[in-house]
Amino acid sequence: MEFTREIYWNLGKGAGTLIPMYASACIAIAVLAWGFLQRVKVYRQAQPLNRTDNLGERIAGLVKAVLLQTKVLAVRGPGIAHALFFWGFFCLFIGTCLVALQADFTDLFFGVKFLKGPFYLLFSIVLDLAGLVAMVMLAGLFVRRYLVRPDGLESKVDDAVMHGLLFAILLTGFFIEGARMAVTELGTPLALWSPVGLMVAKAVASLGEASLRNLHLGLWWLHLVLVVGFIMLIPFTKFRHIFTTSANYLFADQGPRGNLVTLDLEDEAAETFGVAEIAEFTWKDVFDADACTLCKRCQDRCPAYATDKPLSPMKVVAQIGELAFEKPEANLIATVSKDALWACTTCRACQEICPAAIEHVNKIVDMRRNLVLMAGEFPGEEVTVAADNIEVNGNPFGLGYATRGDWAEALGVKPLAEDPEVDILYFVGCYASFDKRNIKIATSFIKLCQAAGVKVGILGKEEKCCGDPVRKLGNEYLYQAQAAENIELMKRYNVKKVVTTCPHCFNTLAKDYRDLDFALEVEHYTVFLEQLVTRGALKLSASSFDCTYHDSCYLGRYNDLYEQPRALLHVAGGKLIEMSKHERESFCCGAGGGRILAEENLGERIANKRVGMADATGTGLLVSSCPFCLTMFEDGIKGLEKDESLVAKDITEILVERLS
Amino acid sequence: MESKFKVNTEGKWYDNVDLAWRMNEYDEFAVEQAVQVKDQVGEADVTVLSIGIDKVKETMKKALAMGCDRGVHVNDDASYAKDPFEIASIIAAFARDKGFDLIFTGMQSQDRGSAQVGVLVAEMLGLPSVSTIVDFAFDNGQITAKRELEGGLRAIIKTQAPALLTCQLGLNTPRYPTLPNIMKAKKKELLTLEVATLLQDGARQETVKMYVPEKKGGGLVLEGDVGAIADQLVQILKEKTGVLA
Repeated sequence: MEFTREIYWNLGKGAGTLIPMYASACIAIAVLAWGFLQRVKVYRQAQPLNRTDNLGERIAGLVKAVLLQTKVLAVRGPGIAHALFFWGFFCLFIGTCLVALQADFTDLFFGVKFLKGPFYLLFSIVLDLAGLVAMVMLAGLFVRRYLVRPDGLESKVDDAVMHGLLFAILLTGFFIEGARMAVTELGTPLALWSPVGLMVAKAVASLGEASLRNLHLGLWWLHLVLVVGFIMLIPFTKFRHIFTTSANYLFADQGPRGNLVTLDLEDEAAETFGVAEIAEFTWKDVFDADACTLCKRCQDRCPAYATDKPLSPMKVVAQIGELAFEKPEANLIATVSKDALWACTTCRACQEICPAAIEHVNKIVDMRRNLVLMAGEFPGEEVTVAADNIEVNGNPFGLGYATRGDWAEALGVKPLAEDPEVDILYFVGCYASFDKRNIKIATSFIKLCQAAGVKVGILGKEEKCCGDPVRKLGNEYLYQAQAAENIELMKRYNVKKVVTTCPHCFNTLAKDYRDLDFALEVEHYTVFLEQLVTRGALKLSASSFDCTYHDSCYLGRYNDLYEQPRALLHVAGGKLIEMSKHERESFCCGAGGGRILAEENLGERIANKRVGMADATGTGLLVSSCPFCLTMFEDGIKGLEKDESLVAKDITEILVERLS
Repeated sequence: MESKFKVNTEGKWYDNVDLAWRMNEYDEFAVEQAVQVKDQVGEADVTVLSIGIDKVKETMKKALAMGCDRGVHVNDDASYAKDPFEIASIIAAFARDKGFDLIFTGMQSQDRGSAQVGVLVAEMLGLPSVSTIVDFAFDNGQITAKRELEGGLRAIIKTQAPALLTCQLGLNTPRYPTLPNIMKAKKKELLTLEVATLLQDGARQETVKMYVPEKKGGGLVLEGDVGAIADQLVQILKEKTGVLA
């Protein structure tokens, strides 16, 4: 016998079946389209933004992220369940399309049937198992959501509707199959190619053919109603993520990673800066809210949220969506709350993990820009003072700018103003220039360079704050003023290559300054020194020690520099015991986003939490490669009175002890 | 400000080299108070005046960005050498025919700290002056100011405009200029007058010399183990003082 099955078995292939079926399908699709059109109108309230450039690359990204579920799978448990469910449901969708294609097109018009023979067997088993996998995964996700109830996972009507509807669609599908098989396939070898269907068939076989046919007919129409309902509900429930999240992969930010829009401050027509209401965002910011599935992965990783501050990146995105659809003219900042906005460390953990490619950080900075540039507001008086100090003396401490290079005098390192013939320019940054603890990083770095025969110059008193803290706080004006001076200087001295010890300086010079016509090669010292070690120019004598390493956000998540710092520690003889939150999942020290300038008055101190994690490794040594991190950890260690059990060091300090 | 302050070659003032310039902190409170009064009464025109080299115009931009309507720069390369009486007479000469209802000055400057200029200006213009104010209220010409006194005491003073007030730190919270206001400030009127056109009176005093005082002894910070420090301290107290005798 030829392996196949009669399509529209028990229903008849007449107008009585086809017309209601296709009519309802058309209505469903029309409702779906209408629903999304309404939403498009909401997106269009906001500003234009081109996110369809490099279309080829974008489409490739979309296909990969959707079909391979790469972003979803970044979190194992629920990620695997979602991916398997998706693949199962996707197979069923393709199967249904093939059935429609044969029955109502190739067979109808050309008499061609392809669902037969070995291909039918494959079709049968794949769809049967796909249905099973989808059902099991759905059940698993149901247990997680409604019985295990992970912290922070909010369940709304949407979630109940989705679970119920999907389960009913799968279940009716199996019973339709079972009823049909009980009448037509029981006892044939073909039945074995639908194991789940066969099980159902055996269970219902005793009903007798007449009842089975009635059951089949009833369930078939019910199944159709459920599917039509599902399609119609897509734009009106979280089901919309099937389209919006997928589309968000297409519209995703293509970098440079962590880039903020460089505002045109000379724009005479600009009356407002930053974002205080929906219409000032771009359409993508509103669309992001529609792509969000409230999976809470961002919230789970947010250092502010984890330390009881009033910020959840998920909530911010949701609030933007609520306002856009319900009260677009309302004040966004009041809705999100200033405390929430100021709590962000721009650590990018939210954005890195987001399975929907949502851009959280720029939204927060956009709103901060409005607070600073339009209202002159900062998170606290101390930050206003620091910003003022940066404006006057180029450093947040308010120390005389002329003393910026004093630390280097004893090391024989000269400012470029005195000697511009150097191999590299060391852009020192404020903390390594002025802060007693962090000057050790600068001096260690110089000693390492000198040992490797690298001639280093600095800008000395001419160097200004790179502008990172104030920029991330929203003060684009002050950032651009600082940047312009630094850029002008570096151009004037014909600098060939810049090395920084601060990841914030590094990210700012290497990426943000690009928008301001600065194109020099910039490296963080971990990359620079690792090359010197590999080349054999920097010789270290290893002596073994245990440590844990903290990935700075601006080195790790912003720039993917995970290997070089670890390689340097390895060369120095370090045995690394990682904290559970490391690399992409690293937990911020609390200093990013300009928070280094602000007092931390809400909730637990982020640095204390991180120091606790480091202490738990039992290594007694917390290594970092960022002056901000080091500052926070020194404070955290003192605050927690962990001086006995934990020491914080920068990689440079460890290396300089091992110069051979 | 914690820069390497050096005495200039004349030996009478600071060496300007490597010093960053900023608005005198007390004056920031004065500017803020003036702008607040303008915000309160609506119809007002605030003039900010500064005496000094061309560079002070940059500082005045901040006052304009904070909300002052116009600026008057009295160009004087030797303002640092003028005594408080001369400075006051320059300001008074400018203000005499302008009919200002209120004049706010800083209580003193952060560099010279004479605290004389404001009250001298008031005297020269025949205005009542209230010094060291930490609170200010204005109601239709009626001024209610709070003064800071010794020992944390406060005094409430009432007077009638026109009047001059010298501002103490903490009088208000000087605003951080917004970007649109910084942009507007660039287009505001900033008049430069030569000091010679305003200065009619001579100095009443002369700075003879400015110098860094000799170091007399110094603190000693003991570092190390607590027990060892304690022993060290006892030793020092025994050797150098009579407290343990």
